[in-house]
Amino acid sequence: MATATHELPAPESSSTTPSRNAFLLRRLHSLSGIIPLGAFLIEHFASNAAVLSRHPAHAYGAQVKFLNSLPFVLALEIAFIYIPLLFHGLYGLWIASESTPNARRMPLLGNWAYLWQRISGVIVLAFILWHTWTARFSGISVPDHPELAFAKMQAQMAHGWILAWFLIGITFVCYHFAYGLFLFAAKWGITVTARARRRWGWACLIFGVFLAYAGIASALAFRGILIYPVR
Amino acid sequence: MAEGKIVRLRIKRQSGPQAAPQWEDFNVAYRPGMNVIVALMDIAAQPRNAEGQPTTSVSYEANCLEEVCGACAMVINGRPRQACSALIDRLEQPITIEPLSRFPVVRDLVVNRQRLFNDLKRVKAWIPIDGSYDLGPGPRESAADQETAYPLSRCISCGNCLEVCPQYNDKTGFVGAAVLSQVRLFNLHPTGKLHAGERLDALSGPGGHQECGFAQNCVNICPKDIPLTDSISAVGRQLIVHAVRQALGS
Repeated sequence: MATATHELPAPESSSTTPSRNAFLLRRLHSLSGIIPLGAFLIEHFASNAAVLSRHPAHAYGAQVKFLNSLPFVLALEIAFIYIPLLFHGLYGLWIASESTPNARRMPLLGNWAYLWQRISGVIVLAFILWHTWTARFSGISVPDHPELAFAKMQAQMAHGWILAWFLIGITFVCYHFAYGLFLFAAKWGITVTARARRRWGWACLIFGVFLAYAGIASALAFRGILIYPVR
Repeated sequence: MAEGKIVRLRIKRQSGPQAAPQWEDFNVAYRPGMNVIVALMDIAAQPRNAEGQPTTSVSYEANCLEEVCGACAMVINGRPRQACSALIDRLEQPITIEPLSRFPVVRDLVVNRQRLFNDLKRVKAWIPIDGSYDLGPGPRESAADQETAYPLSRCISCGNCLEVCPQYNDKTGFVGAAVLSQVRLFNLHPTGKLHAGERLDALSGPGGHQECGFAQNCVNICPKDIPLTDSISAVGRQLIVHAVRQALGS
């Protein structure tokens, strides 16, 4: 009979469901930048702000001592700092390598922000690797001698070029995090309208500027330069 | 012909897909209200370059001449746009004209947009209503959804958003803003919703939504003023919800 020729619309190639890994990996990259890395950045800057006191060496040492007294501190460091940092950093390098920036041809705010997100990411990765090595894994062991933590950082910061390198690292990490918060909301579908993005963009900008101010104030305090009134 | 004003054009030409591109200058007689397509038609009518030497006519694509078909997208004075709505009076001269750079050139200003069409197919950018029997009327669409859908439905697949996208290249395989916006459009439609999961599955794979870097050039260049970045966000939300639902097994 003719029934065989009457074909229902075939289920369109749904047999080959594409791999979701690309999507999940990128969402994980995005999330890891906020939690735990962004959360740690805030904690790190809050801890460092201990130097903004009358007795910076003591306050800073007490802060270092407290953090290293946390239970499972090494496991926490590995799980919430080192692994996310390496994943976010290396995957980010790969993302940046696939980019074809065109900010000169299309000199728009969003396009420049896109380019600087990649440039800052590379600089920040280099800075953080250097900073982790010099502050945590070489020289005086800070976890074993928290009372010497301030002196160790002070000695480092005594070099003008190292201080400058810190200021660059701090500025770029704040930019990268603040704009990352904006991008997170945009890509995860939290800010679906232009109006919502504008508002959230301002919030991220103010937050980023504040964070950079806090970081720079702490870094300069190691040189006795106070841009924040110490009580 | 009376000695009138002259329109100067610099066109990036390429005799075939493998040929090396080269620039050729042209002068055409000015007429009030003319657009770039008119200038290209004048060149075709009398193909002589600015030195007066005979040359081949410049190949280009154009259909509707009213910015609804998308065919005549080209890079005019460094900016991708529709040649039919590019008025000579508003362009600085000499007017440089190049083919879109993100698609392979077929000849002169004609490019092969197959990648765009393949990506639209990949995400099923249509509503399946054809069957061997009458499927009856579909569900009603709310007025609010119509308001959202109409601007999205104005996409003409011109490819301008892809031309300016820093993520649209061979390495990422990114589908681009136009395709993401079409997914939002068809997932919004009451009948199109039935295949929302398949479209989202397609967008979760290589070259999918995750490749967007949110540089926002697309929304700035779109000749139809489509809220492309809104679409990218909205589809991002759908993808998250879809992934969580699948992970939870529902």
